[in-house]
Amino acid sequence: MQSRLDYFVPDGSYWPILGSIGMAALLGGFASSLHGSLVGTISMILGFGIIIFMVFGWIGQVIQESETGTYNLQVDKSFRIGMAWFIFSEVMFFAAFFGALFYARQLSVPWLAGEGNNLYTGEVLWPEFKSVWPLIQMPDASNFTVPKGIIEAWEIPAINTLTLLTSGATLTYAHWSLMNKNRSGLIGGLIATIILGIIFLGLQAFEYVEAYQHLDLKLTSGIYGSTFFMLTGFHGLHVTLGTIMLIAILMRAIRGHFKKDRHFGFEAVAWYWHFVDVVWLGLFIVVYWL
Amino acid sequence: MNYIILIFFIFIIYSLASALYYMMKDGDGSKRMVKALTLRVGISIALFLFILFSFWMGWIKPSGVA
Repeated sequence: MQSRLDYFVPDGSYWPILGSIGMAALLGGFASSLHGSLVGTISMILGFGIIIFMVFGWIGQVIQESETGTYNLQVDKSFRIGMAWFIFSEVMFFAAFFGALFYARQLSVPWLAGEGNNLYTGEVLWPEFKSVWPLIQMPDASNFTVPKGIIEAWEIPAINTLTLLTSGATLTYAHWSLMNKNRSGLIGGLIATIILGIIFLGLQAFEYVEAYQHLDLKLTSGIYGSTFFMLTGFHGLHVTLGTIMLIAILMRAIRGHFKKDRHFGFEAVAWYWHFVDVVWLGLFIVVYWL
Repeated sequence: MNYIILIFFIFIIYSLASALYYMMKDGDGSKRMVKALTLRVGISIALFLFILFSFWMGWIKPSGVA
């Protein structure tokens, strides 16, 4: 390992531009697919594939650099700072969506029904409209899909909460095993966490099919449908990414990369998983309960 | 009831944030981070059980279609 004074400069890499192309294809394709474009859907799938390829390729390169002793303490510090900024952006990301839900639910929908100093807004626009949440009866539903119901908190959401909470416990077991030099405990805990993550995603996919096919609860179901799918969908995307990262960490654990006193990769991914877990708990309470 | 849930949540976020702080500050050999995360998991499970219990007692009910 080099000393802290040597500044590590990596070689030129094509991963960032590949990631950008994948992201553009994914998001552009997603936007187009919402408008019913087949090319958009293909582009979205292709973009997702490129991103997965980039994630594994880039992580693999970083692992290789780490294992060949290229990194020094200065690089270690920069990884930690990078992780801090990544977490900050994630907190802001979810704060924006929780904020949108709060704004719609506590402010804008009641205003449309005449609350606050908006008495005449209600009177002039939709005098019959009553502010309730979940907003199923929209004041003017002509441009929306009116849902027949909502997802019940005590069905899949509660099972999913239990699944994620258990995954937090199995990951903590893996963490303690790492600290206590119990390699089989580390690997077993990680495998259990990954399986629970996959179960969570499977159940959420099932919930979405149920919502779309039987309840008519869709992304086009007004402000309730939009906020519901945006919040739970982006959370699901984070669980997907977290599962992929855990698989990478499991591969490294099997190869014996982590030591009791050198395992920042594990710590970063573990913290991320705990963060995603806490976000779900917040979603479970705010979206399904309150 | 919402306030009790909020208090639980403040403790959860505090333990998660302190784990982050320990991850940034301590070396990899320190156990402070894993202890904070263990606390985080413990309080989260307690909150979930509390919600179950409150529902069973009839103190809270899920948001349904009015």
